[in-house]
Amino acid sequence: MNGYSSILPLMAIMLPFLAAFIIALTGNKALGLKRVLAVIFTFIPLLAVILLFKPIIENGHIVSYWLGNWVPEKTWAIGIGLEIDAFGLFCGLIITLTCFLSSIFSIRYMEKDNGLEKYYTMFMLLTASMIGFVFTGDLFNMYVMLEIMTFAAIGLTAFRNHKYKSIEAGFKYIVIGSLGSSLILLGTVLIYAQAHTLNIAQISAILHGNYNAVTIFALALMLTGYAVKAFLVPCHTWPADAHMSAPSSISMLLSGVMSKTGIFGIIRILYMIYRSKCVAAPSMEFLMIFWGTITMLIGASMAIIQTDFKRLLAFSSVSQIGYVIVGFGVGLSAKTSVAVTGTMGGLYHMLNHAMFKSLAFLCAGAVLYRTGTTDTTKLGGLAKKMPYTTVLFMISLASIAGMPPFNGFVSKWLIYQSTFEAGYWPVTIIALLVSVMTLAYFIKLAQSVFFGKIHKEHENIKEIPWSMRVPMIVLAAVCIFAGTFWNVISDKLIEPAAYAIYNIQGYIDVMFNKGYAQNMFNHEIPIPKMTRAMAGYWSPINWLLLFVVLIIGFIVIASLLSKGNKKESIIDLSDTKYDTFTGGEKEYFSHMAGNDLFWGLKHQFRGYFKTLKNAHSGIVNDYVLWVAACAAVVTIYLFAVL
Amino acid sequence: MDILVYIFNILIFPGFLFCFFFGLLLSGIDRKLVARMQRRIGPPVFQPFYDFFKLIGKGHIIPRGAAKKTFMLAPIIGLLGVVIISMFIPIFGYVFIPRTADMIVILYLLTVPAVALILGGSSSGSPYSGVGISREMVTMLSYELPLVIILLAVGSKVGHSLGEIGNVTFSLSKVAEYQSKNGMLICSLSMIPAAIAFLLCIPAEVGTVPFDVAEAETEICEGPLVEYSGKYLALYKLMSAIKMFIMGSLFVALFFGGTGFGTGIKFLPLNTLLMMILVIITISISVSFLRAIVARIKVEHTLKFFWTVPTALAFVSLILTYVTTL
Repeated sequence: MNGYSSILPLMAIMLPFLAAFIIALTGNKALGLKRVLAVIFTFIPLLAVILLFKPIIENGHIVSYWLGNWVPEKTWAIGIGLEIDAFGLFCGLIITLTCFLSSIFSIRYMEKDNGLEKYYTMFMLLTASMIGFVFTGDLFNMYVMLEIMTFAAIGLTAFRNHKYKSIEAGFKYIVIGSLGSSLILLGTVLIYAQAHTLNIAQISAILHGNYNAVTIFALALMLTGYAVKAFLVPCHTWPADAHMSAPSSISMLLSGVMSKTGIFGIIRILYMIYRSKCVAAPSMEFLMIFWGTITMLIGASMAIIQTDFKRLLAFSSVSQIGYVIVGFGVGLSAKTSVAVTGTMGGLYHMLNHAMFKSLAFLCAGAVLYRTGTTDTTKLGGLAKKMPYTTVLFMISLASIAGMPPFNGFVSKWLIYQSTFEAGYWPVTIIALLVSVMTLAYFIKLAQSVFFGKIHKEHENIKEIPWSMRVPMIVLAAVCIFAGTFWNVISDKLIEPAAYAIYNIQGYIDVMFNKGYAQNMFNHEIPIPKMTRAMAGYWSPINWLLLFVVLIIGFIVIASLLSKGNKKESIIDLSDTKYDTFTGGEKEYFSHMAGNDLFWGLKHQFRGYFKTLKNAHSGIVNDYVLWVAACAAVVTIYLFAVL
Repeated sequence: MDILVYIFNILIFPGFLFCFFFGLLLSGIDRKLVARMQRRIGPPVFQPFYDFFKLIGKGHIIPRGAAKKTFMLAPIIGLLGVVIISMFIPIFGYVFIPRTADMIVILYLLTVPAVALILGGSSSGSPYSGVGISREMVTMLSYELPLVIILLAVGSKVGHSLGEIGNVTFSLSKVAEYQSKNGMLICSLSMIPAAIAFLLCIPAEVGTVPFDVAEAETEICEGPLVEYSGKYLALYKLMSAIKMFIMGSLFVALFFGGTGFGTGIKFLPLNTLLMMILVIITISISVSFLRAIVARIKVEHTLKFFWTVPTALAFVSLILTYVTTL
């Protein structure tokens, strides 16, 4: 490996950390400098990740770097090693891109807040720790990064601390988040006690064939711990509050990207450290698919009954993470072709979720920026005042619901196909139904925030400034690109990442010497064959066709319709015939919004929704109990089957 | 050359023009049939055409409180959505574009007209539209579940016997291929419950009595359409007419496919004629018949009905498929 590419990962981690300290040192002066620093130092990691593309994706290398040149002593790791394979780079790309866009969005979005030196310090800490988390090759380093990440995120959640809700959310997050971290730490300690090393590559080589009760217990603890970070049900109770109260530029990172670090952890554990116990094990496959299905269903059900814009998006994230976990659950299948489809679906949905959910959160931020509220019952009719935001929100709606020309379709379809092929057809049905529910609650948002009647106090609002629009436009463009040019995304990102997930032998050998893994495993570790064709993507000609139809249709129909429009300008709009029809009465404010929109559904399932609502009581003690119960159930299940 | 064929497919057959004529004709036949069942004389069969052109020629009013662009674009999006679906449905094995996952694409695209209706209605700002879209949403959730299970049942039946990966196919051309070898799917016992469930889904998808809670003229003045007039209303009417045709031809493709006069382009006119006749029969059974004899049911009963009877029927099919293939 040549010099510059091995120093890049270090730069990507260290420079944002450095920026955090510089920003903290400047105190409450030089706000402009802080903004510039934040943009620059989130751009450098993005650049580093892009530069790493050539060695990692194109040449298929795995980049490694031993911190302080503490190279392994006789194939025994003693220092901290960074190790970036295609999967780490894939996550790194998602992280750096969203952080960069978030830093641009923050410039204007945070202008009304004070204490911005704290905001930017913690923002940089969050960025750096997330990059560090996916680039490190050391189990304990992962934990350290996770802790920095969690505490930076908690600080940012409670940033608007003049609001009661923010403090409450911060408290919930700190309790549940710390519980999750403790479980991960305990798991790490148990593994260290067994393997006497913290290097992931070495642990996976040593643990192979040496699994015992302690390591299984460690697996259960770490799974639950990372489930808290990735908010799988029943550990999904903190994001609703946290995402709601955090500034939108942060909610976007928490929901779009930080949840992915939880998934990253789960995948490294299942596919790497516990490789021979978990991969091709039907019992683990069942656990993950079941867990994911529950998560997507509960998340979507809770989202339907929410009335706050960002709270709804938070539960929607829970639901979408369910899809990802189902995809990776299928990836554990013994049937390799199905497994590859599932893994690719999971990876693709990871990318897509980061993009469309970030976009949705930024739309929520835009609404909050101009109106000062995210309560859907107090909003309405913003489409007339904020056309750009409305269009961007509609793009995120179409993407998340999986409408064909957008990215959600490709990934969701891979997940449907893989679940059915793996023999889990009830999951396919639930996934398709949840997809319709997703569409339903997003349309509820569109109706109650952007359409309908505008409130009197919002009549003078303006569109958001360009510096906030640009990040949203970039995200929307990625959404459309990933939907239409799926073959590019698949070739350049998804396939190498999927290959890297299974390529444990390469991962181990890079850290030590060639043949070390085979020596430890006593046999060559199989990597399932994967090509794009196996994932059964559908032919691109359809996309072309859809676009041709859309364009021709628009031109033809729009030209037909535009004839009459010219007359309208001379029409007096105050004429009563331009009132909306309200049964012959005088027009008054009558906007169907938020909570009222689903009464037909809620009435029918009132028992179910009531139970759910009561269960999410908002009492932290209950939630802690849930996490503990989850850990207990997972432990018992793993001991029963492994 | 390929592009010319595509453009022909999109604009004329089976795309826009064909959908336009046959959809409106179907709607006229439906109206005539219902009238005769109710012992009325009824409008002429070409009445929907007259209505359409009359509406196109009329002026339109966009309410002051409406989000104007969305209000105007929503019917266009809905119309394009249904026209696109028409190209994904093979006519007795004649496929317009080869593809692998058209069933799921169709499933998604079928929500586009409903979404267009919801968006259009919600952008108008009328309270009646508000009530209407909430009902439309519930209707959508109601029929989507049985529809998903029906498609999975058909897919697994076909996929299993064709030896597809994972014993499932999401391709309608595979369904047609299977039927041309093994006879119509409606003839196999395990598919009959699914076919009945599909027939029950059609009125809800099209939005006719008894499942027209969203439009309910007598209660909420056509719900989402209350503020629409002129050409935009005409587009919506055209959209629902085409949707009726789409659902009919989807039913034919799923359960009567593969038995046409033969495959290949030279049999296409005859096959199309046969398909049109079958679609008319399907729609007259599932839409006209039902519309003539029953009244509208309540909103909450729509969901209850669809999540019990058609869902159970579709499940029976799915389970029978599994049992027979074991």
